[in-house]
Amino acid sequence: MIKCEDLHKTYPLGKGAGYPAVRGVSFQVRAGEFTAITGPSGCGKSTLLNILGFLDNPSSGTYLFDGKNVGAFDDGRRSGLRLTDIGFVFQSFNLLPRFSALDNVCLPMLYAGVEKEAAAARAEELLARVGLAGKEANSPIKLSGGERQRVGLARALANRPRLLLADEPTGNLDSKSGAEIMQLLLELHKGGLTVIMVTHDQSLAKLASRIVRMKDGVVEP
Amino acid sequence: MRISESLRTGTLEIFNNKLRSFLSFLSISVGVISILYSITLIYSIRTRTAKALEVAGPGRIVVKMKDRWNSNSDMEKKQAREALTLEDALAMETRYPELFMVSPVLRKWIEFRAGSFSEWQGVLGVNTQWKKRGWVYSLKGRFINQHDIDTRARVCVIIIEGGWLKKPKWIKFYDWKDRFQEFVKHDDMLGKTIMMGGSLYTVVGVLNEPPMEKNPRAFMEVESWSPKILVPITTAQRFLSGYGESEGIDQINLDTGKEVTINAYKARVEKFLAARHGGRLNFLEIKDYRDIIKDKLADKQRDMYTVLIIGAIAILAGGIGIMNVTLATIYSRIREIGIRRAIGATRGDIMAQFVIEAMLLGFFGGIAGIMVGMGGVQYLASKGNEDMIMFQWWMPFISVIAAVLTGFLASLYPAYQASKLDPVESLRYE
Repeated sequence: MIKCEDLHKTYPLGKGAGYPAVRGVSFQVRAGEFTAITGPSGCGKSTLLNILGFLDNPSSGTYLFDGKNVGAFDDGRRSGLRLTDIGFVFQSFNLLPRFSALDNVCLPMLYAGVEKEAAAARAEELLARVGLAGKEANSPIKLSGGERQRVGLARALANRPRLLLADEPTGNLDSKSGAEIMQLLLELHKGGLTVIMVTHDQSLAKLASRIVRMKDGVVEP
Repeated sequence: MRISESLRTGTLEIFNNKLRSFLSFLSISVGVISILYSITLIYSIRTRTAKALEVAGPGRIVVKMKDRWNSNSDMEKKQAREALTLEDALAMETRYPELFMVSPVLRKWIEFRAGSFSEWQGVLGVNTQWKKRGWVYSLKGRFINQHDIDTRARVCVIIIEGGWLKKPKWIKFYDWKDRFQEFVKHDDMLGKTIMMGGSLYTVVGVLNEPPMEKNPRAFMEVESWSPKILVPITTAQRFLSGYGESEGIDQINLDTGKEVTINAYKARVEKFLAARHGGRLNFLEIKDYRDIIKDKLADKQRDMYTVLIIGAIAILAGGIGIMNVTLATIYSRIREIGIRRAIGATRGDIMAQFVIEAMLLGFFGGIAGIMVGMGGVQYLASKGNEDMIMFQWWMPFISVIAAVLTGFLASLYPAYQASKLDPVESLRYE
């Protein structure tokens, strides 16, 4: 599904200098795998995840998604892939605070052109699946951290993605909520979803079917 | 993303930032009020011009006396009196038979008496051509005919004003009543004998004007006063007291029949009259009727431009306000932009989101402006402002469209900036 060859990402620091966040990463992810990317803070995990999710462009190297070179895709096509093929779960949830839980989950479907009623029905179903039935109308502000992340997870699943990218999904949660979220991710993986999770928590990484370790912007052998 | 969703988000945003939104509404509202007023004025001027031309005919040229009363020496006075004569009109008719109308007129101011009633009135000496243009009347009896002109018959035709089908409020503010009109309206004048300037006249015809609402001449009068008694022009010259015995007349109204021939005939008539008067045309002015209308409406046009400029400035200020609000909104929602981009929104989606929100601001501001503006227009109309009576139902729509368009244009740049934000940077923004 994913093949990276010699990916580099350097952030410009001005006057010709740059900070190399990712330095020559090459690896593959097959469909249906649960891959955990681990490593210490600042090792380039999140940068790599952003590149894999078409949020960021590599400075150099090749990224093949379903055998197609993503480097040649324009913004519209990349946005389209983010919308339909990829789901994002963030450490800080990234929900829209003025929208209800239901509206947050509906949003990607509305961007995809799904009818409002159909989107609402699916959002309700997804919220029930992550254990939030009855809390659809709640604003994210009124939800606990674990509940917010469940909304985030439901939103990521809205358009039935093939790839779920989770960036420290339990990083802001207590251990109980974290375990519940992890359980949900494992269930999704069992259902056939490809998951790539960034975490610095080794105990969580061990639950994945494969671990990729990073250090100083490179994948450790 | 559906527009309805963007509208919903936009409305939420407006209500969540009440003060900011109110300030935007305010400036847009002022602009919309000015636009509404300007549109009404523009429409009024255009309609008046069109109606005045419709009544006057497409190829109207006016040959008119000027400075008749300002002449100093006796010589000048004599020259002035004879600068334009009935013979000029007749000669013109013979020389240019293709002209649709050659209508000489002579105005007099006389005492009208009928039984015990007496009132000073304006009388217009005309010939048979007068009725060729601007005929909006229904005639009872007959009009002045060639025989009346040839024999200087002491006959007259009285014009009765149409009145209102539904009297507008503002009319009620005026106490003044036209005694002459009140008299002729309530007395069947046809066939009666009246006295004007010491002579007896027979009323051979009564012209009834249509009601004001249906009269294309209503509010469109270009002449400073329009006499309501018509007599044969030869009779006016001979029997009605005026500025002495002479062949002089006030004006000749010509109609070439077509707008395109106006300039050519203006030159021909000028040459023709110069030849007849030994080159002296200093007491005359030969004008294209359209120019006369333009002169009459020039003041209103100046008003219109002033209001339009104020409106443009106000709406520009409103636009800048909207731009500012949109920029502020974008800076306060950078993270939201990142989230939307992360879940699949395209640059176009983000741009559309902010443009729609700004258009909503324009729309609400426009509606507020329309409410105040329409109140103002109604008030002015009720106070007798003849232009504001011309208010049309579609004018508020145009004004709101202008406000929405301002929102659209003002938000393009900020929205474009928002769409260019880097999703990763936006997601990190605190």
